[in-house]
Amino acid sequence: MSDPRRPRVLLVDDEEAITSTLGPYLERAGFEVVVAADGEEALERHTESRPDIVVSDVLMPGLDGRGLVRRLRQSETWTPVILLTQVDEASERAAALDEGADDYLGKPFLPSELVSRIRAVLRRTIGGRPLSAANLLLSDSLELDRSGRRTRVDGRTVDLTPKAVALLDYLMAHPDEVHTREHLLSALWGFEFAVTTRAVDHRVAELRRVLGDDAQRPRWIETVPGAGYRFCGRVVQR
Amino acid sequence: MSRVRITTLVAVGTPLLLGGLTAGAVVLARVNGSFEITVPLATVLVVTGALVSAGVWAGLGVRSALRAREEQGFAAGAQQEREAHRRFVARLDHELKNPVTAIRAALELDPDPSPSLGVAAAQAGRLANLIGELRSLSALETSAIERVPVDLAAVVRDETAAFSEDLEVRGSHRDIRVQLPAAPWPLPSVAGDADLLAVVVRNLLVNAAKYSDPDARIEIRGSEDSGFVVVEVADTGWGIPEAEQAHVWDELWRGDRARRVEGSGLGLSLVRIVAERHGGDVAVRSRAGSGTSVRVRIPTA
Repeated sequence: MSDPRRPRVLLVDDEEAITSTLGPYLERAGFEVVVAADGEEALERHTESRPDIVVSDVLMPGLDGRGLVRRLRQSETWTPVILLTQVDEASERAAALDEGADDYLGKPFLPSELVSRIRAVLRRTIGGRPLSAANLLLSDSLELDRSGRRTRVDGRTVDLTPKAVALLDYLMAHPDEVHTREHLLSALWGFEFAVTTRAVDHRVAELRRVLGDDAQRPRWIETVPGAGYRFCGRVVQR
Repeated sequence: MSRVRITTLVAVGTPLLLGGLTAGAVVLARVNGSFEITVPLATVLVVTGALVSAGVWAGLGVRSALRAREEQGFAAGAQQEREAHRRFVARLDHELKNPVTAIRAALELDPDPSPSLGVAAAQAGRLANLIGELRSLSALETSAIERVPVDLAAVVRDETAAFSEDLEVRGSHRDIRVQLPAAPWPLPSVAGDADLLAVVVRNLLVNAAKYSDPDARIEIRGSEDSGFVVVEVADTGWGIPEAEQAHVWDELWRGDRARRVEGSGLGLSLVRIVAERHGGDVAVRSRAGSGTSVRVRIPTA
């Protein structure tokens, strides 16, 4: 990070076993860690300590992780949030992404995975309303109406399968970032082992075909050899 | 006593009771004269036949009603059992994921892990995978699945090609043959989720290769059968003893011989659940020492 200050993480989980092990791990990885045991406490700690990012469990007594994101966003607070979830249905993940969480990680994860997620989210959030909280995303002639799940190219509505829309949504809301096929699978499909990563390749092929994007000279979705995919167009919100 | 049984008793008993009461009144009033009537034999036979028919019809009606109720009861019971099972898996998942996350974080805190901590980390990883797999299964049972036209023949060709490549890379070999109809017409589309159907084909191929010797033959056949597309994966592998065949679709079940090979025991459960979520079904034929055939039927679009 260019910022010499250690980024501050607000870690929210009602399980002491989690905060007492993940906390020290994150500190060792170069973060300053503030801990809260539920959503209400997290709101208080957030006001006091102004963290750079919030990492929160979903299921908690009182105010849960989703409620926490909603309350933060309602008060126009755009601190990025990563939810630690066991939500499996892709539709629920999408719904929660709509509510303004920035990313997801399913428990049980490797602590190193969490660190790389936190770094990725911090890199792309530079204050202000994040793309993941927007209703309409635009990149050149491509337009994604996130709440209506409608995609338009040159003003024309195009026909995409629900999973292709979800994938496009995720890529557009997280541009300029290389996503591994595994991460895209677990973030969007929810089935962590069942589906092979080629499922992602199939949907990317569908997106390119329908949107008219050339894989060799991509305007939007770029293949990063040996790594995964990246949305390479400039994305603005409206 | 249920309301239905009381109603039946009243309906059956009332005419008898009324008849008895009237007969009693007639006897008591000493007006018990004779009532004679001449009826042709043919009529008596017809009326008797009609009465017997009515009796048999009523009896059969009652029996089929009872059977229907019994079947409904079974179906409701099976439904409840499935639901309870799903809730159990969800709870298990919820109770396991936090400890495993904490164990993995705690193990990674040690900058210089001993070999025994390495074993603990590897086993925690194994538990994490199992939890993920159980969760995916339970999610599959309830989550909405995509319904778009899927060319199952293309899925079979794709998956078989990818699987053969994987085998080559691992330096293993099986004699894999794909047979898909072109005449009188190719396989029709099915309505479903292409990713999940690909997983079905892949799991069947993985099983066929896993439980067979090198150079065993694996045949993948596609066919159309009265409203269904049928995909059959057959192998000349180790086969499954008859006593074990009923359990192959159960979660975490592993056969005696399969236990020596790495696996979670969830592959075929997944195949079954995906087939059922598509409105289809699964069947297995196997002979120990000869081979196994697994057949999946998916309704056409």
